[in-house]
Amino acid sequence: MSEASVETLFDEFALAYRRGERPDVGEYLARAAEGTERDDLADVIDRFLQAVPARAPSEEEVVLVQARLERQAPLLALRIRRKLGRRAVVDALVAALGLDPAKGEKVDDYYHRLENGLLDPEPVDARVWSTVSDLLKANVRELAGVGPEPLAAATTFLRESTAVQTRMMAAARAPKPAAPAEPDEIDKLFTGSA
Amino acid sequence: MHDARDAEDTRLLEAGEKSLLVEGYYGVVIGRSRLKVRDPERALDVAHEVVVRLMSELARGRRYRVPFRVVVHKVIEWKVKEHFQRAKAIEVELDEWLALASEGSSGELSADEGFESFLAGLTELEQEVLTLRYVHDLDFGEIGKRLGKEPNAVHQIHHRALTKLRRRAA
Repeated sequence: MSEASVETLFDEFALAYRRGERPDVGEYLARAAEGTERDDLADVIDRFLQAVPARAPSEEEVVLVQARLERQAPLLALRIRRKLGRRAVVDALVAALGLDPAKGEKVDDYYHRLENGLLDPEPVDARVWSTVSDLLKANVRELAGVGPEPLAAATTFLRESTAVQTRMMAAARAPKPAAPAEPDEIDKLFTGSA
Repeated sequence: MHDARDAEDTRLLEAGEKSLLVEGYYGVVIGRSRLKVRDPERALDVAHEVVVRLMSELARGRRYRVPFRVVVHKVIEWKVKEHFQRAKAIEVELDEWLALASEGSSGELSADEGFESFLAGLTELEQEVLTLRYVHDLDFGEIGKRLGKEPNAVHQIHHRALTKLRRRAA
């Protein structure tokens, strides 16, 4: 498929933006041919964004920045913003996807990893995103896969590990429990493994 | 074009709603950061740095003789530069610009990034076509009626104008 011209892509982006839509700059750049075309498009859109009034941010954008300021993963920040416990999300997933309620703990474990940016969001089933999006009333897919801000600057000053850090590092180094022989429906929903 | 937004920014500033004022720019901060720093995670780092800097500027109680949006765009530019160059000199330049932009400073400052500056270098007709399209949201037929030209001719003027803007960007 041939890429659209810079002029066409810019026109489409600018019209959508001025109409109050939220065109995704990443998607538009991806549609331009890599190299000069993409760079030119980025430059023209960038200057356009400086020249027109800023549109109101989406809630997802607000959550992305706030989460970074508060050193939280965005998906976790959104749930807290909604004043919901993780259990509520897990219960919603179990009910909506018709899962065995006895396996709620396993769903909880996967969701915990997902909302903390510790699970690759790519293979996660669309039904999971849809259920969580409905519950949290936001495009959660946009927020997933982003972890909290790394604590590099803060930890630079730590000469020794704290007791909590030591326990966390030991837990991270510990061998993982043996995986069940056959991945079940829950594994498939969160990892895509059949 | 910017009057309503600038007035709202002034109102928020006077009401002490600094977080809301900065939050209103999150979309453009993220968008511009992504355009400049293509990696989404790194772009979010830059956006975060922009927001932190804006918040700290407002916390100092500094008032500006330019609209707040101009300050926002300048901070984005410098933070992007800083991201690529990681140079202390960039931070000093930003400090100097912000001091110059503050109320009470008498230094010369050309900073307003309005739509007119976006159209700079185009002919009057090209500027009119782009303004009608992106400010008044008209299609080529409607623009043609206003300017007494065929839609196809308007399309050509529009394309030529965008090509010029693109060359200028390059």
